[in-house]
Amino acid sequence: MIAQAVFYVFAGLAVVSAILVVLQKNAMHSVLYLAFTVLSVAGVFFCLEAEYLGAIQILVYGGGIVVLYIFVIIIVNLKEVAREKRKLFPKVFIIGLPIVLLAEISAVIFASRPALPSASGTGVAFRTVAEELFSTYLIPFELASMLLLAVLIGAIIIARRKLLHDPD
Amino acid sequence: MFIWIPLFPLLGAAANGVFGIRYFSRRAVHTIGVGTVGLSFLLSALSFTGWTRSAVPYVVTKIYSWVPRSLIPVLGGRPASVSFDFALRYDSLAAVMTLVVTGVGLLIHVYSVGYMAREKSYARYFAYLNLFTFAMLLLVLAANLAVMFIGWEGVGLCSYLLIGFWFTRDAAANAGKKAFITNRVGDFGFLLGIGLLVSSLGTVDTAEISALVGRGALGRGTATAAALLLFLGAIGKSAQIPLYTWLPDAMEGPTPVSALIHAATMVTAGVYMVARLNALFSFSGTALTVVAYVGALTAVYAATLGLVQHDIKRVLAYSTISQIGYMFGAAGVGAFGAGIFHLLTHAFFKSLLFLGAGSVIHALSGEQDMRKMGGLRASLPKTFPALLVAALAISGVPGFSGFFSKDEILASAFAARQYGIWALGILGAGLTAFYVFRLIFLVFYGKERFDGEVKTRLHESPRIMTVPLQILALLSILGGYVGLPRVLGGGHWFGAFLESSTGPHRLALSGGTEIVLMLLSAAVGLGGIWAAHFVYIQKEGRPAERFSARFRTIVDVVRNKYYVDEFYNTVVVRGVLRMGRLLHWFDDHVIDGLVNGTAALVRRASRLSIGFDQDVIDGAVNGIGSLNRLLSSGLRRLQSGFVYNYALSIVIGIVILISLLVTLF
Amino acid sequence: MIPINSVLGLGLLIFFIGLFGVLFRKNLVIMLMSLELLLNGINILFAGLGRRLGSPKGSVFALFVIIMAVSEAAVGFALVLSYFREKKTSDADELNELKG
Repeated sequence: MIAQAVFYVFAGLAVVSAILVVLQKNAMHSVLYLAFTVLSVAGVFFCLEAEYLGAIQILVYGGGIVVLYIFVIIIVNLKEVAREKRKLFPKVFIIGLPIVLLAEISAVIFASRPALPSASGTGVAFRTVAEELFSTYLIPFELASMLLLAVLIGAIIIARRKLLHDPD
Repeated sequence: MFIWIPLFPLLGAAANGVFGIRYFSRRAVHTIGVGTVGLSFLLSALSFTGWTRSAVPYVVTKIYSWVPRSLIPVLGGRPASVSFDFALRYDSLAAVMTLVVTGVGLLIHVYSVGYMAREKSYARYFAYLNLFTFAMLLLVLAANLAVMFIGWEGVGLCSYLLIGFWFTRDAAANAGKKAFITNRVGDFGFLLGIGLLVSSLGTVDTAEISALVGRGALGRGTATAAALLLFLGAIGKSAQIPLYTWLPDAMEGPTPVSALIHAATMVTAGVYMVARLNALFSFSGTALTVVAYVGALTAVYAATLGLVQHDIKRVLAYSTISQIGYMFGAAGVGAFGAGIFHLLTHAFFKSLLFLGAGSVIHALSGEQDMRKMGGLRASLPKTFPALLVAALAISGVPGFSGFFSKDEILASAFAARQYGIWALGILGAGLTAFYVFRLIFLVFYGKERFDGEVKTRLHESPRIMTVPLQILALLSILGGYVGLPRVLGGGHWFGAFLESSTGPHRLALSGGTEIVLMLLSAAVGLGGIWAAHFVYIQKEGRPAERFSARFRTIVDVVRNKYYVDEFYNTVVVRGVLRMGRLLHWFDDHVIDGLVNGTAALVRRASRLSIGFDQDVIDGAVNGIGSLNRLLSSGLRRLQSGFVYNYALSIVIGIVILISLLVTLF
Repeated sequence: MIPINSVLGLGLLIFFIGLFGVLFRKNLVIMLMSLELLLNGINILFAGLGRRLGSPKGSVFALFVIIMAVSEAAVGFALVLSYFREKKTSDADELNELKG
């Protein structure tokens, strides 16, 4: 009962924040709301008894990505906010498409379907997750770390000033 | 042995024709020309004696195998099979004919030496004359219709060559053409007749045909048709109605030619052919009647024309036509032997008449118009008697050859109850006597109507010309006695001799009737002479002039040859020319139109094809290219470089995929 | 307890909000942020279903998604930075040089 209410609070917060992220004119404001959204989602995770995930969410998303966004905004120094109207495509089409998709998927998800196995009630223990991660999904885990390494190097290379071409 | 008879003239013709014109002297030319014919005559005589002694009915010698048994397609029937060889046949008829051709021919050849003495194309003349002799001999010696046809065509060719001998003269050239073309019409019938016989009897051998007809192998209708077709050839060759118009014009040729070809020999080929195929003609009574009437009518008709001619040779030409009519008349009543008998006597006196006329013309330096002659009796002491004899013979005066032969014809007609033929014959006899003596009186009697210059050159002909005349005169008298009828104490040897070829023939007349008929025809003949004498000597032609004045229209019509030539010209000649022009138009417009039209069509089709190729084919090819361009330009827009669009595309793709999933599950 | 439909609905909602953001914002940075929203929505779905099915796989996959998100964010930012240096603008509409 309580859990449900908490979930709904966090859910509502997440949705509202997300909407606000998309609708802000000022990028800095969007980032703020993004942070808020991330935290709300983490709260949802906790409600869903996916503690590990929630923790990671706060650490990585909130601590890393959001901070990264802030830095980028500062560096890129968004000043002007141009018209947000798209000119190249019929707006109806662009609006309609996601709506269609939403409708479809909703239909799929909420239509009659083979019943999911009864809720287990408790969430999945952290221990189980860790075991799963390091046994079945060991290779992807290692590869992921490699990916992170590559990304690290790559991002630096891409973002560095090209001294040869730069007129500065 | 007899097969060599035609050979010598052939060699003579070849020699004179090939070399004579350039290399031989005149003496060489006429030696060869005359000599070869002389040799042939000799051979003919020898063959005759040898054959009569051997008492063989006939001899056939094959020279080479010509057509082996072969199939000839026949219109609307089973194919006929025929085979024939190049073969010659010697029998009584052939014997007589060869003797006539070579004998009279020899005399005329000799005469020609004198007559053509100053002729430039001496060698050509003798070559042609020899060639003619060869062809004629081939004709009479033929064992089958194919060989006969070779001779038939050969004499036609030589006739053309000799009539148009002086071809630089328009009149001569046209006369030659006219002769050949008119002949051709007849030859058309001849060929059809041969064809009909081949298809129905399967043979061209004359003896075989006669035998088969005798056995009834031929239907009467077919026989009549074949006989009439063959007779058409005879009409052309022998100048009977309606194909006679070439003979008077043929007088353009040298006079000896007229004597030989158009009196004695070629024109008699038709009679010979009928006599040869007497079995066929006898079998078909209709054909025989046609022959008789054509002959008799021609005899009278031509005689009327001979009455009004001024040209001496034209008179004789019409006379020939008339006399040959008598021969056909004889054949037409079944008296084939009588016809051949008259052929014999006619050869004598007609060639004599022609040669004599030639002598007169020669003496008068080429004058042929009788109105410009007269009183030549004294000046031509050798020519005159000879011509007189000939005239008496042709008039049927008793004692002369013509009397016996003509009388036999008339008697045969009477005996066969063909009184119409007989009547026509009698009428013709009277006319004949009249016109021939008109000629004699106009030429030799009366006032001299030629001008002074001609008179100074007036001379009798040289011996080389007069001797043949005299020989022929003798023959014209004595020649008839070979056929002296029994009723007059003779043995009718000639007729009997010929019966082995011409079939038996008995005059169904009592002796008395025959004598009466004889007297009648003699009277008519003498009457004609007297009438001519009356008109032209006693009255010096005035009655004739008065008659012409009074009956001017009729006389003019006759003088203009009944306008037959004009009729032929308008109807036939113009008709043929018009048809030629029509066909030419047809060829020009229709045929060429078709050809050009086809060409135009092809061109248009090719243009269409090009168009098709360009528009459709190339269009397709280009179209594919354009389509490609269209698609690619369209598709290219996807690659706008506009990243946003790429993102949108991803979303669209997801939508589609989900849709698919949804619908499929 | 927590109805699964709500979880799924939440996840979808956030996903589509993020989708709208990607499609409708011209500002590159905001676009990227919307991208993060997309991924968050997915994660919610994963977590919810994992809990429902009682499987750790949900969490594992969500973890990997987060790792991907981090990588993509880093590289994306690097690109944006270099692009911004060239163009002096962060207008997504100017991204048209990939034209073929």
